[in-house]
Order: sequence, then C-alpha cells, then structure tokens
Amino acid sequence: MGKICDANELRTLPSGVQKPAFPVDIGEMHEGERVRKPQMYLEFGGLKAEAKFELVRPRQLNEIEDARIIIEGPDISEMAEDGSYSLGILIEVAGAKVENDIAGVLERRIHYFLNYIEGVMHVNQRYDIWIRFTKDAYKHGFNSLEWFGKALIWLYKTSFPILEKVQVTFYTEPAQISEQLKTAMTIWAERDERTRSLMDEDVEQFYGCVMCQSFAPSHMCVITPNRTGSCGSISWFDARAASNIDPNGPNFVIEKGAVIDTEKGIYRGVDKVLQEKSLGSVQTVSIYSMFENPHTSCGCFEGIAFYIPEIDAVGVVNRDYREEAVNGLTFSAMATNTSGGVQSPGFNGIAIEYLRSPRFLKPDGGWNRVVWMPYDVKERVKSSIPADIVDKIATEKDVKNLADMKQFLTQKQHPILQRWKEQEAASEAESAETEATAETGATTAIQLPAEGETVISAPTLQLPASGGFKIILKNAKITAEKIIIKRLDKK
Amino acid sequence: MATKISIKELDSQFAKIRGLDLVIGKVVEAGEEWSEPVGPTPYPDITALRGWDQRILARYPPFYSPLSDFCEFCTYGKCDLTAGKQGACGIDMEAHQGKWSLLTCVMGAACHATHAHHIVEYLIKKYGEDHPIDVGSEVDIEAPLIRLIAGIKPKKLGDLKEVLTYLDNQVTQLTSATATGQEQSPIDYESKALHAGMLDNLALEVADIAQVSALGLPKGNSDTPLVEIGMGAIDKSKPVILCVGHNVAPGSEVINYLEDKGTYGSVEVAGICCTAHDLTRYSKNAKIVGPISRQLMFVRSGIADILIIDQECVRADVVDEARSVGTRVIATSDQICAGLPDLTDKTPDEIVKALLTDTPAVLVRNPAKVGEVAARAAIEAAPQRKSEKGLKDEQVLANTSRCTLCRECTENCPINLDIGYAVNAAKKSNLEPLQKIFQECIGCGRCDEACPQSIPVLSTINAASTAKIKEEKFTIRVGRGPIRDTEIRNVGRPIVMGEIPGVIAFVGCSNYPGGNEDLAKMADEFAKRRYIVVTSGCAASDLARYRDENGQTLYEKYPGDFDAGCIVNTGSCVSNAHPIGAVIKIASIFAKRNLRGNFEEISDYILNRIGAVAIAWGSQHQKAMAIATGANRLGVPVILGPQGVKHRRAYLGRSEDNEKWMVLNARDGKKVYGGPAPEHLLYVAETIEETMVMAARLVMRPNDTPKGRMIKLSNYINLHKQLYGTMPDDVQRFVRAETDLPVTMKDDVIPVLKERGWKPIEIPDPTLLDRMVLRRE
Repeated sequence: MGKICDANELRTLPSGVQKPAFPVDIGEMHEGERVRKPQMYLEFGGLKAEAKFELVRPRQLNEIEDARIIIEGPDISEMAEDGSYSLGILIEVAGAKVENDIAGVLERRIHYFLNYIEGVMHVNQRYDIWIRFTKDAYKHGFNSLEWFGKALIWLYKTSFPILEKVQVTFYTEPAQISEQLKTAMTIWAERDERTRSLMDEDVEQFYGCVMCQSFAPSHMCVITPNRTGSCGSISWFDARAASNIDPNGPNFVIEKGAVIDTEKGIYRGVDKVLQEKSLGSVQTVSIYSMFENPHTSCGCFEGIAFYIPEIDAVGVVNRDYREEAVNGLTFSAMATNTSGGVQSPGFNGIAIEYLRSPRFLKPDGGWNRVVWMPYDVKERVKSSIPADIVDKIATEKDVKNLADMKQFLTQKQHPILQRWKEQEAASEAESAETEATAETGATTAIQLPAEGETVISAPTLQLPASGGFKIILKNAKITAEKIIIKRLDKK
Repeated sequence: MATKISIKELDSQFAKIRGLDLVIGKVVEAGEEWSEPVGPTPYPDITALRGWDQRILARYPPFYSPLSDFCEFCTYGKCDLTAGKQGACGIDMEAHQGKWSLLTCVMGAACHATHAHHIVEYLIKKYGEDHPIDVGSEVDIEAPLIRLIAGIKPKKLGDLKEVLTYLDNQVTQLTSATATGQEQSPIDYESKALHAGMLDNLALEVADIAQVSALGLPKGNSDTPLVEIGMGAIDKSKPVILCVGHNVAPGSEVINYLEDKGTYGSVEVAGICCTAHDLTRYSKNAKIVGPISRQLMFVRSGIADILIIDQECVRADVVDEARSVGTRVIATSDQICAGLPDLTDKTPDEIVKALLTDTPAVLVRNPAKVGEVAARAAIEAAPQRKSEKGLKDEQVLANTSRCTLCRECTENCPINLDIGYAVNAAKKSNLEPLQKIFQECIGCGRCDEACPQSIPVLSTINAASTAKIKEEKFTIRVGRGPIRDTEIRNVGRPIVMGEIPGVIAFVGCSNYPGGNEDLAKMADEFAKRRYIVVTSGCAASDLARYRDENGQTLYEKYPGDFDAGCIVNTGSCVSNAHPIGAVIKIASIFAKRNLRGNFEEISDYILNRIGAVAIAWGSQHQKAMAIATGANRLGVPVILGPQGVKHRRAYLGRSEDNEKWMVLNARDGKKVYGGPAPEHLLYVAETIEETMVMAARLVMRPNDTPKGRMIKLSNYINLHKQLYGTMPDDVQRFVRAETDLPVTMKDDVIPVLKERGWKPIEIPDPTLLDRMVLRRE
C-alpha cells in the first residue's frame, strides 16, 4: 500500500461537500488551456511515458474509503522538473444509486475535471492519456498528486450527488501501471461489448434531448441504445446519466409505451413526447427510417444519409467532407434540407456513431442500400459494416459521379442490383399507362406575377381560344415588374 | 435590366396589334425562381420596421451624451438647448441628439452604399452582369443580409444593382428626415438611425460578396496565408506604391499591371486601412503598413513613391503631406477629388509624364489606368526618392530644442499622451519616452497644430523611433471573407453543451485610449477562454501588431477557424457583413426560419438566442457607428471604447426594472421574466477591464441551455473576480436554476443567492413577438 492521504474535508456530509482550499483556481473557464513545453513543469503520459491509463470503477459502499487518495509510487516532489512520467489513475466510486452503466460517463469527466484546474492540461482518454501542468501551478503549491485527487473527488461529488464515496488511486511505477492496465483493458472490453450489444428491446426507457431547442425550438432527438443523438455526443448512457442528475433538464426519460414496430422504431410513448416537445410539428417518427416519418435534426448533425433517386440508393456524407458528394451536392447544400426540426424524407441528419448501430436505416434496406460514403468515414466505421458489403461501397477514391457509380456497383455486384431488377420488372408493367398521359402541355405556360405587380390594360383584348392562335391587342399597355419564363416540358 | 417592346401596328394572320407597349422589368428563367416564401418586409421602407424598433428602444432607450449644449443646424440658431429648453424650431435636446444619431448613421450608410456602387459597377464593367455570385462551396447561404432585407437571392453581379437602387432611395429619404422641420421625436430619429444602420450592413454585404465573387478573394477558408504587416515590413529598396482607403479596385489593377509585365516581385504594393486588407486578399504578396493610425506617420516617412487614395478614412491633409516628402499622389475616386486636376481622359503616357514633371498630384477616375500609371511612375520615381525625401532624423529631432514644456501638445492629445514630457526628454537626448508614445499614438497629428513653437511633433515621434519602426514587422492572417455554413453547424453542439461561451467580434477603428496592445490583450484573453473570436478592419490589423510572451502574434498563436479558441479575420470594413451574416444564418441553419424579407422575426431570434457581442474599442468613424447600429437592430449588442462616448448615443437597458425583461414563452404564450440578457445594446466602456466583464455578461441570452449558461456564468464571475476582485452584484439575475451554476462555483455563489433573495425561474422559449407564440394555454 502506498501513501494514503485522507481528505477529510471532502467527506460527504448531510449538508453536502465543501470546497477545499486549492493552491490554484479551479473553474470551467480553464478548460481550453494549453500547456506548452516552455511553461510545463512536468508531464504524465503522452508519447514518452512507458505506461498510462485512467479508469473509473463503480464499487460497493463497503469496498472503498470515502475521500481517500492513495499514491502508489513516487509523488511529484520526487520527480524531476521537465520530466515525462508514467501515470495510472483509478477512480472508485460508490453510492446506493450508482449503476455499473454509469462508469463510461463518469470516466469521460476526468478529462473535463482535470482541465478545469488552472495550469493543467489533459488530453485523450483510457490507455492514451497525456497530462501536463505548469511551472506556475507548481510554484503556487500544486506539488503533489494529492491535489489532483482532491480536485477530482470534489468535482465528482459536486457534479454527481449520487456518488456517496469517491476514492482515487494514483500509480506512478510503470510495472504496476502495466499490471493495472491489463484489468482496465478487460473492463473496457466488457463495457464496449455491453454498449454495442444493448438493443432497444433490452430497455424500458429511452431518452429525449432538447438541448438544441435553444436554437431549433421544434426539434427533439430520440436517444435509444441503437440511436445516438445526431450531434454524436450523447449516447443512451450519457442521456441516462444526465437525466438522473437533473430529471427536469434537457435530457429526460421517455417511456417507450406501446411498441408499434421495433425494426422501424415506432413507439407510442415516443410519439406522445415528440408531439408535445415539437409543439405538434412532428406527429410520429420511425426512428430508423429515412423515408417514412424520419427523425428530424437541429443543425449540428455530424453527417447526412441522403437518397440518390437516380439509382434508388443511399449515400452518406459527413460535415468535414468539403467536396461534392457523389450526387453532385455538397454537405452544406444537403444540410439545408434536413435542419430545423422538420421531417424531410430522403435526407437524414445523423451521428457517425449511428453508422455502427445494428438498426442503421434497417427498414430502408440498411447497409444493402448504401452505395457511397467519404473514405475517411468508411475507414472510421469499417468494422461495423457487414463484411460481405464493405468492399462494394464506393468512396470518392473509387467514383466521382453517378455514371461511374452505376458501373462500380454493377462490377462489384452490390446488393442494390437486386433492387434495380425488381423495379425494372415492376415498371415494365406500368409503362403502358404512362404513355397515354405523356402528350400534354402544348401551350406556353405564362405564370402571372402576384397581384399589384402587373398592369394589363386594353380596351380590346382577345386571348387565344382553344385550337389555333390569335391575339388582338389595341392600345394595350402591359407592365410587368418581373416575368417568369418556363420551358416547355416535352417528353 | 428592363426590356421594352413597342408595337405601333401589327397585322398578321394570327395577331392584330395596335399601340402595344410591353415593359418587362426583369426576365427570370425557369428554375431560377427562389421558392422560399416572401416574409412581411422585403425591401422595407423607412417605417416598415418601426414597430420592432419601438420594441427594442423601449427596452434599450437611447442615452445621450451631447458634445455641445447648442444646436447650430439652421440660421435661427445657435439655440441653447440646456435644461429642457427648446430651440427656435421647437426641437429639444433629446430630439436634437436623435438627429445627430441619424446623421451619423446615415453618413456611414451612405459611405458604404457608395463604396458598394463603385465596386459593383467596376466589377460589372470588367466581368459583366452575368458573372456569378460565388462565395464558396461550403457557403450555401451566400448573402444572408440581402436575403433577409431585400428578399432576393442574388445569383449574378447584375442582381446586386436592384439592391443598390434600394439603398440610394432609402439613404435619400433618411437624409431628408434630418432637415429642419422634418422628423421630431427622438425615438423616431433612432428608428431611422436603426434603419440607416441596417442599410449600412446591407451595403457591406453587397460590396464584399461582389469582390469575393469576381476578384477571387478567399472564400471562407480558415487557412488563408499569413502576410506581413507593419511599417518595418515594407521593403524600401523597391519602388513603393501605397494605397490608402477602402476601394481595392485601383490597387488590384496595379497588381494586375505588374503581373502582366512580370515586374510584381520588384515593386512593393502596400496599403493602409481597409484597402490594405483587400489587397492582401487579392494577392498574398501585398503588404499591410497598418491601420488608419499609421497613415500620417508612414506618409511622412516618404517611403512611398506613389500614394493612391481612394475613398473613406483618407486624411484631409494627406496630399500636402505626401507632396512635402516628394511622394506623387493619384486620387482615384469621385468621393475625394482633393482639388486635383482630372486627368482621367489623358493617356497613361501623358499622366505618367505629368506626375513625374509638373503635376505630381492628379485625379484619375479609372482603376485600370491608375494601375498602369502608378506602376510605371513608381518605377521611374523610385531612384529619386532619397534626394526628394524630407529632413533627416537628426534634423527633425533638433527641433525639440525649442520645446518650452508648455504642454499644449499634451493638452491637445485626444488620448492624453504626455507628449510634452517626452519631447522635453528628447531635448535632453532621452528618446525613450517618445518611443513609448510611438507605440500608443493614434497618429492624428493634433500635437503638431497645437505646438506654439511649431515643432513637428508627430515627425519627432517618428524620428525618435526609427529603430522601432524597423522592428515593426508582424504577421496577419489574410481576411477570409464568409463564415462557412459547415463551421456554424460545427459549433452548434459545443455552444449548447457549454463548451463555447460565445462569439466576440473585435471591430472598428484605431482610436484607442491607450494603444493597440489593449485590444490584442482582450482578444488573447477571450480566445484563451475558448470564445469564438472574430475580427475585421483596422481592429484586425491592430490585433496583429502585438506579440505575446513567446514572441508570437495572435494570428500565429490561434488558428483561423470559426471555432472555440480561434481568431477569424474576415477582412476589411465591408467584411463585417460576414460575422453579422453568420448570426443570421444560425436562424436558418438550426431553426429553418425563412430569411426572405423576414427581418423582425430573425432579429427577435438573434436578440433572444445568439450569444454574440461586438467590441469596437477604437470606434472613430461614422461608419463604425452605422455598422454598430445595424448590428443593434438585428439584436447584437456592441461595446464601444471610451472615445465612443463622442458618438453621443448609447442604448442602455435597466437591469433592475424587471418589467423590461419580460418575454413571451413561445411554448405557452405566457409572459415570463427572461432576465436582463442581453443587458445593453450599445454600451460605452471606460476601461478594458470593464469591457471584458461587460462582454462576458452581454453574451448571455434568455434561451441559454443550463450548460451554456454555466460556461457563460463561470467566465463572467471569474473575470469579475479577477479584474474587480469581487463577485458581480447582479449574479442573481443570471441564475435561472441551480443547474445554471458552474459546479466549481456553487459553494461561492449559493450563499450569495440566498442572501439576495433569489428564486428560480423557468427557461422560456423566448420571443418578443406575439405572432411567434406557437401555442397558447
């Protein structure tokens, strides 16, 4: 057992937790602070460190000691200025209402909490952390890992009142860290497996997110185990944690209610909340379809699933993709069609994470319908694309336009071919009907401008009768502010 | 373009026509129509938005600070308006100040409208009416202000002409309202001033999207190049052409000519003020001498072989000053003829000859001709530069022997620099105080005029600072024009999640109370705190003229994205259209609100939802006031530096008057307290500390998410504590529920709230407009 520091002032009392005296300031506004090499006192993790990790583990109340900080290995005072050191951070939490599922949410807060400390920079997560702190902070007395521990305990307790006990252990011996890291890897693997395998039908409650109503008053995201919020930053687990802390806040419980269609994602409970929160502008949603009552978006979705009518297929484009997508439209141009809390069939604002969902566009054909996506996105989600189709989805490196697209799909035997065949068969049956109505519109279409814009005055005015063409105008005066000319559409 | 068809008499087998006049205003081809429904106020006339103005002026009433107790506008006067007295025409002080306010704004709007006319007409002549409007592939809403105000979607340069016609018409009507016996109510004067401000903003956009489209200026890319700025950045060994003003046409033609001849590399093309920004947007080899405050100093240095002046912010003495150091002058705009002979119709050969011989200052109102003439004359004149230049530094400094330390210069300095002391020190060979003044000087030259001993004080400051001038070499990121739609989408999430506290724009001129470093320090602080920082015009130049403790300029230190902790330079004065356009786009991008002719609804959206604030720390010109007033009408608050008090009018809210902060909750129609957010629309701050705290306060909006309010509050409280040493006395007005409180500050704030009798309120879906209520209970 290493050095033990009991931060008694941080113990949970009935009145809450008091802020301890810190040698430096702690506040949200310090979050973006960068610590550059010349300002740095020393660093933990990063490229030069042998071993590093950070992990949050829920425990039973009797398993840990509240407000205890344990330092296994040398502390900062025993380290050299400008050095790079290994570090493992294990945060154990307990509370009557603490569930195992909250671990991931809590773990991601380490990044924010450490960054709140003036003069501290924290980057990345899990096995890849990198922490620097400034000479200035050290000078002010920020000279022991104990301070990191106190800050973490205080911030966890203040932000998550359900945490009755928080214990923090720092490891600074590389061998010990590597040992702990093995356990951590197993825990992360289990956690990831649980996240991936959790299906909508496994839970009773979904969550609503109206964070964006601040800008898009009629939009609400439905967040389910199979659908992450469109912005990509709120998973079902995140929403659950947020609503536990502030049930009346922008993340709240949606009782699923009657299940209409699990595959399409239609639930009466969802519709009811949606009608209320969208002020009636959305009546019903099929969470997983981009055609039938699709899910709406605010404006900050990470990507768009878009319909390509020419080939009856679906493409995906992300916000960072600056070129034209395969349909000749940019992300920006398409985004206009799917923003603002309006249901727009054919365009679906999505999170990249949603591409990993087993229900991604399932009712519309799922991955069998997807034919194109930017290379970078494909690389990111490759492992979640069914193996038999992954090579059949084109990127900008394969094709640039729809003509090439068809050739690519045919060559690769993309499942969309099957769809084309079925449609061909269907359209042949209909063709006789359409011919009959093709010959229409032999006259020039003149669209009269709105009232007040046009003056037509004439003592004699004769407009063409049917068949033939005769105009008689005498002393006519026609003034049009604007005239719209439409081309004749001849089939 | 209007089409007219007249048929006197037509007899044919299918038609008989007698005396037909067919006039078609505009022909639109199918597929070009814009399907967005037209809102209530396309091309609003001067009273169309009066209702909205009255609404915001009731909350933010004008606060006047007259510069004079008298009205001197007509021959009745001058009339004493003190203590509630009325003048001979019946006007009282408030209305008189309202008139000043309108006059100031309409002057600004007229400048930008004229500028827009000049650039659009020049570009149409050069590239044709059909040249497409294209401001970048990631900018789907190419002209948010034009869409919003005019209600059109411009596709070609020619489409901008109808907007210009509208501007002319409105500016004329507003000018008319300032005459004696016209408008009388201060609130109506202010409504018209707000209209003028709106027109000004519209003109900015017309000018900038035209030049971005036709001249190939950057189209919203974040990684525009870093170029050199500073008096020391100019290579004196080359012929030097200096452009001063705002219209890039003549300067760009100089570059065209030099490039055609393959001599661009051997000639230095530099600028001062906004035309400088636009030159670097046109060519990254162009240089910026500095903002308007460096105009007189640099011209007096005699480094320029040719001085090209175009329009706006050109000193009235610049021709004489240039001539006194041997610099040839070409005036290029009908706005500034400067008493010079008009050689526009002469051949380039003739003009070059005249410039180099008997007519060293000319007027040439043809940009292409100016390009050739300036280039050729500069190359020919450069070798003579040394012999023609004015006095040597030692000779200038010798003048200080006459100083009697009467301190008239100090008394007359608009920013109270102790020049007298510095000149007197120089008399005793201590140049340091003068060098310090060189850093802070706004370059107005009033000290020269004030000196009873006729010491050329400004030249003395220059002469003492030769070494400093050589070192005055920084980098600035080239103005990038529009904010990309994708960038706006990108920051939506971090704003609602409380990771970005707001948008702060540093704009305006360089009439600072204490040098440009103050401005740079503020920008540094806000960028460090992960606000989105935007800048333009002389403020953008001044941000560059500073190095942090690591020797980096802010443009080297922060990326150029529209994102947290970045600094975006949009470009010149007219590029102010882009940050303003960005806030408009938010309504379209996130809420799918129609922009077309829908000013009131969008302004209501911006006022209640978008945490943006502008800081015009060195506001000097009427245009600055017009731009600010236009932003105000849209619901964007502006903070002016201390000199801004001389614009004579602020729009101040009263945070203690709860009734003023009631908003309608669009979700149930109930009138609820939304808090004083934003507290003011136009505020004059005395110090940078006050400015920073106020900016952090003014980014709060009634709709903030709890996390969004949390990060705004944490910065506000932290800045207040850091700069004033105390908890803000109004913190309770900005906490709606405990979830708004920054977790790290809860322990400090909760007792304060208790002590001040705070009660939680609900977060509304806020609007000031009854018609925006979506559902009533």
